[in-house]
Amino acid sequence: MNDSSLKIYRLLLLVLIGGIAWTVLPFFASVLVMLIFSFLFTTIFLPSVDSLERKIHSRSFSVIVIIGGTIVGFIWFLGSFATNIGAQIKQFSTKIQQDDFALSLEGLSNKAQTILPDFLTNLIPESDEIIEKSQESLSGLFQNMLSFLSATGSLVFIAVMTLIFTIILLVEYYDFKRTLVCFIPNKYLEVGLRLIYNIEQQISKYLRGQIMAAGSVALLSIIGLFILNQFGANMTLIVFIGIIAGFANLIPMVGPFVGMVPAILVALMNNLGSDIALAHQLFGVIPSPFYILDIIFMFIVVQQIDNNLITPILVGESVGLHPMIVMIVLLIGGTLMGPLGMLFAVPAAGVIKVILHEIQFISKNSHLL
Amino acid sequence: MKAIWENIFRKGPADDPILHAIHQVPIFEHLNGKELNEIARLTHERNYKLGEPIFKKMAPGEGMYVIIQGSVTIKDPETDMVFAQLSSGDFFGELALLDEEPRSASAEALEPSKLIGFFRTDLLTLMHRSPELGNKILINLSRVLGERLRQTNKALAEQSS
Repeated sequence: MNDSSLKIYRLLLLVLIGGIAWTVLPFFASVLVMLIFSFLFTTIFLPSVDSLERKIHSRSFSVIVIIGGTIVGFIWFLGSFATNIGAQIKQFSTKIQQDDFALSLEGLSNKAQTILPDFLTNLIPESDEIIEKSQESLSGLFQNMLSFLSATGSLVFIAVMTLIFTIILLVEYYDFKRTLVCFIPNKYLEVGLRLIYNIEQQISKYLRGQIMAAGSVALLSIIGLFILNQFGANMTLIVFIGIIAGFANLIPMVGPFVGMVPAILVALMNNLGSDIALAHQLFGVIPSPFYILDIIFMFIVVQQIDNNLITPILVGESVGLHPMIVMIVLLIGGTLMGPLGMLFAVPAAGVIKVILHEIQFISKNSHLL
Repeated sequence: MKAIWENIFRKGPADDPILHAIHQVPIFEHLNGKELNEIARLTHERNYKLGEPIFKKMAPGEGMYVIIQGSVTIKDPETDMVFAQLSSGDFFGELALLDEEPRSASAEALEPSKLIGFFRTDLLTLMHRSPELGNKILINLSRVLGERLRQTNKALAEQSS
């Protein structure tokens, strides 16, 4: 068989394998997601497990301590968040049903109608309408929460399986890696090892940088909201909003805006019916009813600090992709897998970049292998 | 009494050919059993056929090899000049643990051979996981390279005189 027909056969084989993989992918998609998450969690926890293992000389016990501690912290966070948000919604629903709230809302509506130009006054709904809509949306929220709870069944299964995979991977990480290396042919051993190491480093640096950046965003958001409270913003659940903003920040470009939403909602819940909050002006010049513009401004400042100071230092050039490519990759990830796809898009692109770089290296130096 | 309390099932350097081979290498000198086990967990066991290249001259070096069984020739492929013929217990390529410079010679199996590879990525992992052990290996590696430099200087001096 000559060289060109061998190449055609190889190409056909590759297309065939690709086609089969694409056909069977939906059946294994959930397992694949579990494995990807497990691998990411392993990469996140590996340094802590390694350093604890150095101190207590037991890998299994180190894994139990780190994973156990994380689970306890996560459950505590979810529990206290649910309790606080429940109390907040209850308080808001009581507030809506009060007569004086309806009166103040009517006054607010009238006042807005006198201030605003005619073409805008038609857009302001009547106070009864607002109350009705608020009550409707509140009951809608509860219904959504119930349907969300029913969907949590499968989510819990995925979470438990991911947890089990993560624990196994953490305990056996280096043995797994050695087993993986066994499958590399002698010819590609050194290149393969370098590829594995570079991919590992790429993902690990990116994830650690992103987590630290998310932590910084959370802290800065908490400080920002605390400062806003000093100016009478009447914000509650500050710590939770900050943590949510930090987590949302993990999704590049879109996350920061997602982080603002709970803060604006809480500001509306707490300040609706207050004349002072409605008449508030940002810097005493720009009208900022219910401190909404203040919150947006605060989050923009936090984002600017994060984008220009924290992320370049912590994440640095870890992925080294052009911003234009990052945007395209995010769009592709978002279209294929939604927010999850956006979360994975950038590190996945980084891994593909490393693989392409190594393929380029292999094709250039094939005579040396 | 000793047989009751001691873990008699734990493999020592004498029982395990990999541990035994690592134990003989000066880079892993002065390491206790536990440390040797940790190194062994990071190494990669490979089998090479007769005449199979282990690495080629000018290829970027990634690490060192220890011969467990068989023999290996180190040569210049352009001139066919043989620099060394190594056998069981010998090691080569240790310079690549420190830099990414291209290999200065080719290595080829002279017979079906079993080798273990210890690579720069393994050393970096070890330095991160266990800095104390990583430092011990680096000091040993410096000693080996220093000794090689001394021998080269001696050979050059003999040649010139």
